[in-house]
Amino acid sequence: MAAAVETNACSITDAPKAPAKPGAPPIVEFKAVTKKFGVGTSREVTAIKDVTFTVEDLENVGEFVAILGPSGCGKSTILRLIAGHAPQFPATSGEVLYHGQPVIAPGPDRGMVFQDYACFDNRTVIDNVAFGLECRGVPKRERTEAALEWVRKVRLDPARDAYKYPHQLSGGMRQRVAIARTLILKPQVILMDEPFGALDPATRHNMQDLLVELWREVQATVFFVTHDVAESVYLGDRVYILSNAPGTILHQFHVLAPDRPARQMMREKPFQDTVFRIRDILDALEEGKD
Amino acid sequence: MREYFKRWVTIRERPGWLEGANASILCIALVLAVWYVLTAGEHAEDRIIDPITLPSVGDTLEKFPDLWFDRAVARSAAWSLGRVLGGFTLAAAIGVPLGVLAASFLRLGAFLKPISIFGRNIPIAALIPLTLMWFGLGETQKVMFIFLASVAFVFFDSSGAVQGVPNSYLDAAYTLGAKYSARKGLIGAAWVGLTYAAVLTLAYYFLSRAPGPNDVELRASWIRWFWGMGFFGFALGFALWFPILAFQPIRKVLLPLALPDIVNSLRLLFGLAFGYIMLAEVINAEYGLGAIINLSQRQGPREHIYLSLILIALLAFAIDRGIIALQRRLFPYRQVGEH
Ligand SMILES: Nc1ncnc2c1ncn2[C@@H]1O[C@H](COP(=O)(O)OP(=O)(O)O)[C@@H](O)[C@H]1O
Ligand SMILES: [Mg+2]
Repeated sequence: MAAAVETNACSITDAPKAPAKPGAPPIVEFKAVTKKFGVGTSREVTAIKDVTFTVEDLENVGEFVAILGPSGCGKSTILRLIAGHAPQFPATSGEVLYHGQPVIAPGPDRGMVFQDYACFDNRTVIDNVAFGLECRGVPKRERTEAALEWVRKVRLDPARDAYKYPHQLSGGMRQRVAIARTLILKPQVILMDEPFGALDPATRHNMQDLLVELWREVQATVFFVTHDVAESVYLGDRVYILSNAPGTILHQFHVLAPDRPARQMMREKPFQDTVFRIRDILDALEEGKD
Repeated sequence: MREYFKRWVTIRERPGWLEGANASILCIALVLAVWYVLTAGEHAEDRIIDPITLPSVGDTLEKFPDLWFDRAVARSAAWSLGRVLGGFTLAAAIGVPLGVLAASFLRLGAFLKPISIFGRNIPIAALIPLTLMWFGLGETQKVMFIFLASVAFVFFDSSGAVQGVPNSYLDAAYTLGAKYSARKGLIGAAWVGLTYAAVLTLAYYFLSRAPGPNDVELRASWIRWFWGMGFFGFALGFALWFPILAFQPIRKVLLPLALPDIVNSLRLLFGLAFGYIMLAEVINAEYGLGAIINLSQRQGPREHIYLSLILIALLAFAIDRGIIALQRRLFPYRQVGEH
């Protein structure tokens, strides 16, 4: 089933923001991917069905893909298929391609940020951030320096917070740590599964602006799952809307890239029109569910 | 006063340090008072409980110097502790890494499950005749008794602690590049193997005194066993720790995240093992708290039994507190139970 691409759907639209690298395969491509759990048992469920999409490897910029959909429609499944995490990986049928090659295992080139942060409790902030470099065998002094730099970039206070343990941090601070430890590895793809879902609205706006700023710097392709329509429209270059379970891509919007702080941009009329439009689609989906 | 009683019936109202200690002292005072009332009276006929069944508080305390100096209770306590420490260290050295592996590699876990179930369900009392048959009457029997009594539980709890680490930590580790690194595993496991070998050969050296130089045949066999122990120790340590140290997801994530729980369960199991050792010491032991209790029951004074029990409780409490303090230092990011 081909997804309906609705460019020019919302007054603030444009074509892909940069030309694709000539000759390069798409960075992520799903070809009719279906995932079923419990195949052959009485509890067989189809999580996603025939999901097909292409995200091009753009020249010098990464695309920001926001994924919306009713709960249980397979958003996490899609992210975890790209990451290569069991039990969602491998797909039951279809192909998940990364740089034109089938995904075979998780790797640091595809970083993931979880809703529950998953900061390592036994490590201080700095050791959490340095974890990936440590696995690579980067010498201690070098990785500590790099980690301090990233602690600063996610706007934690290196002097005050760097040697704290996760249990001494607030949720927003822990998510900053999780983002820092992912971005320090310069991943080409960043997978974020409702990363701000557990944060209060004010913290959330700050985190959104921080993410935009950092994303410009690392130029990675981001897949961002969220329940918050405004968040998806603000952050995304593109918004995918999944159908009810089993999920498949129903709509695809191009939206304007974030060029102002979240609080400001979210007040503007065209922005709000887009949000309402998408929310109507989602509400219709939620209703169709029961 | 009213306020004070109200706090006693407030759910989960945590008392301050002093108030908590006062409640505990109140309990001790109450037990002593009941004991005193039950055994008060000049003559046996005046007392509620006769002196053979339960000596009075005063008589019991009077016998303390006797227990301390003539019976040398401190030395016996040291022997008991040494035996438990020996057997329990062995149990931890095998049970902990095996448990970590069983919870990481689930087929190995399924493979070991029957032994784990069997080991946890052997009646402790049955281990006494068995170890006597296998290891004779000496110290080896007592150490192996503690080892066999506790290793299955150490294994089970360690495995449970690792299973309790949420999958998302492991997923995070993979996306951050945690991988298999044979070189780190080889170096680390070689060191652990050497440590295991050193400890086992030393234990063998002390538990089975080397025969004199005249007894050529016995001595040759002893030396063979000595080196055999060393080799076995190295192989054991290496095999158990190589996979743990080589797989970064285990070494850097699963093991450290499970470690506070593992140490906590070791603390609880050590307390149990300290109780078990008395069982083995009742039979043919020169020293040991169990031996003292046994001797006091047969030859008197019976007051020593009660005194020993109190000393055992105090010692166990002190050890437990010590380990809790250690846990707080080792794992500042984890709260240890307040009990
Ligand atoms: N490990 C699993 N075992 C069985 N079913 C699963 C598993 N993970 C997800 N599912 C099912 O797959 C569907 C999609 O799940 P998920 O991708 O987590 O949804 P979303 O993230 O959109 O809320 C749901 O119906 C869920 O019950
Ligand atoms: Mg989800």
